[in-house]
Amino acid sequence: MGPDRRAGAAFLEASGVTMRFGDHVAVRDVTLSLARGEVVSIIGPSGAGKSTFLRCVNLLEIPEQGSLRVGDTSLTVRPGAKPREKDIQPLRRKLGMVFQNFNLFPHLTVLRNVSLAQERVLGRSRAEAEARSMSLLDRVGLAGKAGAYPGRCSGGQQQRVAIARALALDPAVMLFDEPTSALDPEVGAEVLAVMKELAGEGMTMLVVTHEMAFARDVSDRIVVMVDGAVVEAGEPRQVMSDPSHPRTRSFLSAVLGR
Amino acid sequence: MFQYTGYILAGVGGTVAITVAAFAIGALLGVPLAVASRSGHRLVRWPAISVIEVLRSVPNLVWLFLVFFGLPEVGIRLGPWATAILTLGVTSSAYLAEIYRGGFSGLGQGQWLASKALGLTTWDRGRHVLAPQLARVVSPTMATYAISLLKESALASTIGVVELTFRGGLVSQRTGDGLTTFVVVGVVYLLLSLPLAYTSRRVDSRLRAKFSVG
Ligand SMILES: Nc1ncnc2c1ncn2[C@@H]1O[C@H](COP(=O)(O)OP(=O)(O)O)[C@@H](O)[C@H]1O
Ligand SMILES: [Mg+2]
Repeated sequence: MGPDRRAGAAFLEASGVTMRFGDHVAVRDVTLSLARGEVVSIIGPSGAGKSTFLRCVNLLEIPEQGSLRVGDTSLTVRPGAKPREKDIQPLRRKLGMVFQNFNLFPHLTVLRNVSLAQERVLGRSRAEAEARSMSLLDRVGLAGKAGAYPGRCSGGQQQRVAIARALALDPAVMLFDEPTSALDPEVGAEVLAVMKELAGEGMTMLVVTHEMAFARDVSDRIVVMVDGAVVEAGEPRQVMSDPSHPRTRSFLSAVLGR
Repeated sequence: MFQYTGYILAGVGGTVAITVAAFAIGALLGVPLAVASRSGHRLVRWPAISVIEVLRSVPNLVWLFLVFFGLPEVGIRLGPWATAILTLGVTSSAYLAEIYRGGFSGLGQGQWLASKALGLTTWDRGRHVLAPQLARVVSPTMATYAISLLKESALASTIGVVELTFRGGLVSQRTGDGLTTFVVVGVVYLLLSLPLAYTSRRVDSRLRAKFSVG
């Protein structure tokens, strides 16, 4: 079953998102929507505002303005009016996020990393949470590491734990910010395999990535960001083989080495 | 002189009591002070930073004299014990707040982002993510501070608190043997601080074996 692309069927919608750091506009009026089950990759040069945009989507950064919606939960941020934590929470709960540097909690075992928010945020009992954690750890191939501290896991293992930790909260959409950039290519491949499987199961995913093969083979659409703005979006093959924007062309020739 | 050893040792309780009480007050008051000193609001941050700097810039002995000899002039009269404990407690809060601040900045921003992204409330982020890691980062420095506070507690003798050093002073006057008396007093301080230093090292290396923070 492919993504649901009927007109008006957008499941995640970000519109008119603008974020400024001082005088520097990091994200410039970005509008993007994903259908349920769709996988969209955001590519673009470093400093283009990809991470900042992704963090605006789950309000880790409060944009200067913009509207966000996931399913039937929405939030509009107007200039000068900072939304309150309790207005942010419902939207954030629908979004899982995976970071470039994993950001596991070093003082908790792998099992506790995956279980903590289930207990504190979803109110699951410890037994219930840990049972769910074990099934997710099993799924990412790390059931054997449940009792280990993150410092005793390789980078690839840590990132798979981070994915399990996000999935444990049953998010509607998963956000990934360059999940393999801190990893060696072979190790990154383990992580990409998990992501590919997730995509195959119909998870809606927004992925900032430098992995052109992943962007081309796994995503339904590629969005190109340059200088804080979306300059191009379309089918992966079309964007990669026949980019219409000169900045896309120079970016692609730099990363693909051609 | 050695017949007075028992009399000197009876001061251990007072020295330990001042140290423990002042440390507890400082450790508690230091938390809001550290949090306020990192606040995003200038009106919260600046007063907190000023309080920390003022407390740390004036010698503890001067604070003790100010409270003990100065405050009675404005009608606030505290006994020697209360003066020593409260004064050292309040000045400790400034030193400990600085130690906490150092710990905060050692923790990666990523921890904060990740715990927010998981939907943890501010309280849960503090309780389950920040505090345990902070405790891990700052406990060796806090132990070092506790040892220096143990030594600072001797200042209380100057306002008439009958603790170790005060008792040493009495004995040396009585016997005329200052050398032996203060060697004994010094050894007692050493014996009090050694277990603290040892325990802190042990705990630190045990935790380090499990995980490292920052
Ligand atoms: N916290 C911040 N404070 C100031 N500037 C920032 C901050 N975060 C990002 N920026 C700036 O915003 C721009 C976009 O950054 P980022 O979103 O990290 O880009 P990308 O992820 O595409 O590499 C960059 O110019 C960066 O320097
Ligand atoms: Mg980035």
